[in-house]
Amino acid sequence: MVRKAKELNLKNNEDFALWKNFLENVGINNFSEEEVNQVDLTIGIFDKQKLLATGSLAGNILKYIAVSADSIGTGSNFNLIVSELIGKLALKGIFHTFVFTKPKYVTSFQHLGFKKLAVTEFGAVLERGFPDISTYLADIKQTENPVKKTAAIVMNANPFTLGHKFLVEQASQENDLVYVFVVATNAGLFATDERLKLVKQGTQHLSNVKVVSGGSYMVSYATFPAYFLDSPNDLIEYQTTLDALVFKNWIANYLHINTRYLGSEPLSRTTSIYNKILKKVLTPEISVKIINRRQLLNGEVISASNVRKKIAQNKLNELNELVPETTLKFIRENAAILKLRIKKGMKIRGN
Amino acid sequence: MEIKKTALAGTLESSDIQILITKGTKGIEIELESDVKKQFGDQICQAISETLKGFGISQAKIKAVDKGALDCVIKARTIAAIQRATNASEELDWRAI
Repeated sequence: MVRKAKELNLKNNEDFALWKNFLENVGINNFSEEEVNQVDLTIGIFDKQKLLATGSLAGNILKYIAVSADSIGTGSNFNLIVSELIGKLALKGIFHTFVFTKPKYVTSFQHLGFKKLAVTEFGAVLERGFPDISTYLADIKQTENPVKKTAAIVMNANPFTLGHKFLVEQASQENDLVYVFVVATNAGLFATDERLKLVKQGTQHLSNVKVVSGGSYMVSYATFPAYFLDSPNDLIEYQTTLDALVFKNWIANYLHINTRYLGSEPLSRTTSIYNKILKKVLTPEISVKIINRRQLLNGEVISASNVRKKIAQNKLNELNELVPETTLKFIRENAAILKLRIKKGMKIRGN
Repeated sequence: MEIKKTALAGTLESSDIQILITKGTKGIEIELESDVKKQFGDQICQAISETLKGFGISQAKIKAVDKGALDCVIKARTIAAIQRATNASEELDWRAI
């Protein structure tokens, strides 16, 4: 048998049909746009015309890995496909890879040097290479000697509002050290570095607060690949449990975090499910404190989406009740750029 | 010699070993994944360490995934990874090899 690795072009109907049919035979049936559109590269292993295995890359995430079970050398085809994908990434200078997969495949990936980050009954996440989660945590750790009370807040801060500021101040008062993790996914109106900068500026007066990027480990959990799930009903629970477990097993464990602060979210159903699952996973080892959202005198809630709405509506003079001076200054100075982003189709709704 | 960037050499196929190397600060740190780690783990790590020493590298982090490689393969893949990580692929240090 002569095996050859070849690129498959999913934009080509013939390649796409071959690929889809192959995956369906191994029980993968989710080809939704959110999943497939992120794929940058797909490889197939062929014996003459017969497809034996396939795998894809979406950024540094391995996706749609499948090996035909009726061919000889299932294991070696699996190793070959992963090896090819890792080699392709290395050529681009990327040496850090993630995979999201069914729990039963965890061992197969571990044999190829992947490390388990978290496993739920629906799915697991593993990583491989450098820089890994240990590197990330060693970089942000503040002190070798754990202080008594360490808290964490994870925020998107798109942008940083008075609501966020209130939450951080509350945690700062009640703890010796507070880590504020700013989610690094670059998908909102305010870019990642802008959001990080505004959180830093807005919390500068609090000496026990350390603002860091969430890196690869506190991403928007809603983007976790989920094409291999048996039932779409499990989606939110799978994604949020995985996210909560990575936080508990790695981040909180290494940084000795004993309290996680959350803002209440009366308006978003997804966030309220997320908060519920977070509480279930984290307690009793880590206590979860939900701080109620502050309201303005007129009953309006302080929320980042409200701020973005006002920018879109050109009501910058109404912002001083919603955001701190530092954020306001940034918005004033960059109003034209922000409006251009909205015009180009940047969504202002959502979290 | 000094590691300048992260580099990869080798594959995950049978009889091969994949070496991933990056900068380190705590001497030579090797993390090995191998089905025969119990029997040959020390020997594999030694082959990697000795090759690094030959190039005068004293600080590096290595992740190695072994699929049953012989010593000569371990050495060859480690050399390739070093060459890539030190930007020295153009001018081989034959004495070290």
